[in-house]
Amino acid sequence: MKKNRKFTLAAVLAGILFTALAGCGKSGGNQAGEDGAKEGSVYVPEFMQLDLTCDYMDSFVAAGDVAYISASTWDEEAGYSGVVYKYDLMENKAQQLFELGENENIYGMIVNEDGTLTMVSGSDNYVFDEEGEVVENSFKMSAFRISAEDGTVIEESDITERFPESEYIYIQRMCGDAQGNIYLSDGNSMICVLDKNYQKLCDIDIGDQWINSMAASKEGDVYASVDGKLKKIDLAGKKIGETVGNLEIGWGDTLYTGMNTSFLVSSNSQVSVLDLSAATKETLFNWIDVDINAENIQYVGELSDGRIWAITREYKEEGGAAYELVCFTKKDRSEVAAKDEIVFGTMWMDSDIRKQIIDFNKTNSQYRIVVREYGADDYESGLIQLGADLTTANCPDLINLSQVDFAQYASKGVLEDLYPYMEKSGIKKEEYLENILKAYEVDGSLYGIMPLFYINSIAAKTSLVGEENGWTLTEMLDLVDEVNPPYVMMYDSRNTMLWYCVYQDIDEFIDWESGECFFNGEEFIRALEFAARFPDDADVDYSERESIETLLHEDKVLLMQTTLSSVQEYQMMRGMFGEEITYVGFPNKEQKGNLVVSASGSLGMSSKSKYKDGVWEFMKTLIEKEYQDSLVNEHGNWGFPIRKESLEKQFELDMTPNYYEDEDGNQIENPKTTWGYNDFTIEIMAATQEEVDAVKALIASAEKVSGNTDQQIINIITEETEPFFKGQKSAADVANIIQNRVQIYVNENR
Amino acid sequence: MHVSKSREKRKALQQENDGAKKSVKKIEKTGSNPRTRRGKWISAGYLFPSAAGVLLFFVLPFLIVIYYSVVDNPISHQFVFLDNFVMVFQNAAFQQAAKNTLTFSASAVPLAVVLSLLLAMMLESKIPFKSQFRTFFLSPMMVPIASVVLIWQVLFHYNGMMNEILAFFHADKVDWLNSPYAQVVIIILFLWKNLGYNMILFMSALSSIPKDIIEVAVLESASSFQIFWRIKLRYMSSTILFVTIMSLINSFKVFREIYLLKGEYPYDTMYMLQHFMNNTFSRLDYQKMSAAAIMMAIVMVVIIGILFLTENHFGKDVEG
Repeated sequence: MKKNRKFTLAAVLAGILFTALAGCGKSGGNQAGEDGAKEGSVYVPEFMQLDLTCDYMDSFVAAGDVAYISASTWDEEAGYSGVVYKYDLMENKAQQLFELGENENIYGMIVNEDGTLTMVSGSDNYVFDEEGEVVENSFKMSAFRISAEDGTVIEESDITERFPESEYIYIQRMCGDAQGNIYLSDGNSMICVLDKNYQKLCDIDIGDQWINSMAASKEGDVYASVDGKLKKIDLAGKKIGETVGNLEIGWGDTLYTGMNTSFLVSSNSQVSVLDLSAATKETLFNWIDVDINAENIQYVGELSDGRIWAITREYKEEGGAAYELVCFTKKDRSEVAAKDEIVFGTMWMDSDIRKQIIDFNKTNSQYRIVVREYGADDYESGLIQLGADLTTANCPDLINLSQVDFAQYASKGVLEDLYPYMEKSGIKKEEYLENILKAYEVDGSLYGIMPLFYINSIAAKTSLVGEENGWTLTEMLDLVDEVNPPYVMMYDSRNTMLWYCVYQDIDEFIDWESGECFFNGEEFIRALEFAARFPDDADVDYSERESIETLLHEDKVLLMQTTLSSVQEYQMMRGMFGEEITYVGFPNKEQKGNLVVSASGSLGMSSKSKYKDGVWEFMKTLIEKEYQDSLVNEHGNWGFPIRKESLEKQFELDMTPNYYEDEDGNQIENPKTTWGYNDFTIEIMAATQEEVDAVKALIASAEKVSGNTDQQIINIITEETEPFFKGQKSAADVANIIQNRVQIYVNENR
Repeated sequence: MHVSKSREKRKALQQENDGAKKSVKKIEKTGSNPRTRRGKWISAGYLFPSAAGVLLFFVLPFLIVIYYSVVDNPISHQFVFLDNFVMVFQNAAFQQAAKNTLTFSASAVPLAVVLSLLLAMMLESKIPFKSQFRTFFLSPMMVPIASVVLIWQVLFHYNGMMNEILAFFHADKVDWLNSPYAQVVIIILFLWKNLGYNMILFMSALSSIPKDIIEVAVLESASSFQIFWRIKLRYMSSTILFVTIMSLINSFKVFREIYLLKGEYPYDTMYMLQHFMNNTFSRLDYQKMSAAAIMMAIVMVVIIGILFLTENHFGKDVEG
């Protein structure tokens, strides 16, 4: 009996401990949305079409439940025409208030205490000759006050003279304080302060500082976000005051006057309220959690009923932009239909992926993707945290593999093979660039998908390296010795050269299958001796060198490390080299040194995810026809779509010439775009079949992911090569030590 | 008469025994009363923090390590029984680490025990500057390990003091930390760090040997060697065991110094089992790390068991 009691006590104790441990498994979410979920309330967006049509909105100001919007419309015949609207945010109703003159732009607006509206505008006046050429151009800046009821002009003043030092001034930000003074910031060097009669009070020189945002607080004082700090404009001292408290304002954050608190602050990830009297900043919600792409935010404000509103802008493919009014209502979580949450773990948020997630969340009724951005605060610790989470119960369902060694996690069983999912969805592997898929393959299983990719490579003149898209280190070193150019590469410090020769493809020196290392071989010793010819990073001054295009034309540089993301870029490179070029790649023993880089993130699925079907549902959207075709762009893109048919469409578009008709009715080919590199610019015409074939051949030659060299190996090599570069040890001695140390690393990892 | 007396005595004794049994019964009975039960609960309450601590920080991690050693990885949790042990045992890095650790412990531990014993005996005898010597040998214990490593780096760096001395004698430079000599450097570092502490333990053991026994031995014309071998060594057997175990444990801890000298992947002769485990842990290879840790623990248990048996054998006749 006694024994039983002891056993029961021990079991209870063990149970308590296990329970306590189980509770440790899931760490607190770092997203406002997740926190919000725990608090039991969420913000629910309501999307509304704006009651006005325009191409662009130039300026906004809000007072209570009313916003004033200056909008312009482009017309082939009439050109730009601008209108100021009074917008009832509660009723979602616009009222035309004021029509702008020809060539007139509104720079900023202020709602005065008496309800009138003060606006500052700039207008260009052109005088044309008989042939229609501009012979005279003058610029005028005006300030005028209009009635907010019917738009009647109450007073108008020419304030061009307030800016005597500048021929043309662009007002980037405008706001007013409680005394009726007007603050005009050119966003660059100074803030001009005018009184209510538009007479200049002072100029505030901001020196080297950068004003990111400027707004009046609810209390009526003007503050600016300067170099990531919130500072009050000190009108009496004619300067920007000291930093206010310890309130963190991000570099890209925008301040908006609050209705219930001092400011609303919108960053690229969230919206917060800032209370100056309490010196607090509280996050309301993450933009992505309310299905908003932060890049589209134009204006944010509060309504008298406590709702938050925002105007968003999305550029249209055919030109112009689509604007939307979104109101966010705080609701109890129980009132909102529950969805299964898929956690997307990423070091950084790619804008394309963000857009796709928002679209998915808006349309999917069963799943919702929440983002856990690990690198948002501290990249290094974020990377460690991501690594730790991947092998624990806290593993995200969907993972951006761009910054992790996918093969390592695949071997640990963290990642799910995606081929069965593709098969199940009827997506054929053959419809995609198989060599690019292979970059994320391990033993025939696919662990990552990159919807958009580009190639990282080394380019050289074909006359020197031949037409093959690949070479070995020996071949490269032989060529360098043979040509002996003044510069091997534009950026050719010792470490850079070592990076190109060794790190870009470390597998040249390691056979992971047999566990053998070849650092004491002739190739590596030659690479070391080659790198030693170049100056140390600290001793090299690239600014003294001529531009890359000059060096290439004068045959002073042999190789150029570059990336290739479009046919247009290839055309530009050819133009810059001045003759045929070959993307020969980084040296590699299999001559496969053209490396694949994901342009918008590579996505993997956690093998332990509860919502694998949901994860795949999202991943699928990124490789399906619709999205892949959307990546096809007239001017090339930041990468190539992975789907063969979409890529072919891109090539077709690249080869389709644009024509215009001259006075005689002849069809003249128009440049598709203009590309530039430093001082070199080139007009890009429609690509030839030969150029497209060269790009196709280059893409076909790439099947390895770029930049997966383990930091440990880099550390060992960097540490041990130092005495060699200082002339204290021979290359062979150093190579032997590196061989010895890296061999342990390789053995350990097998 | 005599018989009947002794019977009476036995009877009286039996009665006395019965009385004792009764009182035991009484105590047993009183043991279940509420006051004693409350006492037990109070004791349990006092015991709980330490019991929980032991469970949480020793038993549970050990169970988790055992669990990880028999699953394929911490994500899929597939039971693989001894596969991890086989894999780790066949791993070239593990073999190298085990060989290095064994070589290091087999050379450094006996040296640490013998040299410190010799030092203790030297300081027991009548020599001048005894206390200065004692302080000198104890001083490494007071120096922070980072400083020690810094000094060692200055001494044994390729451009360090040792090579300067060699150059003075026109000898070639030796890359101490990147050559087979590396382990010698670590052994010297280990001895320098540990001799003082071991020496103090031996000095204390030496001073506790009964003087009369030694005096008798001297009177019986025993030689110094006989006194040392037959008396001192036997009286010190438990201290020798303790010093050996402590040195053995410290020899595993030398990873810290090597790590500070050469990082996670040193020259192969300096690569120890702790490197293997530390590196697999940071790479989240829990199953490999757990299998290696269990194998190392088994070897440690065997070694310590052998040491206990040896101590029992040599020290049995001097233990009270």
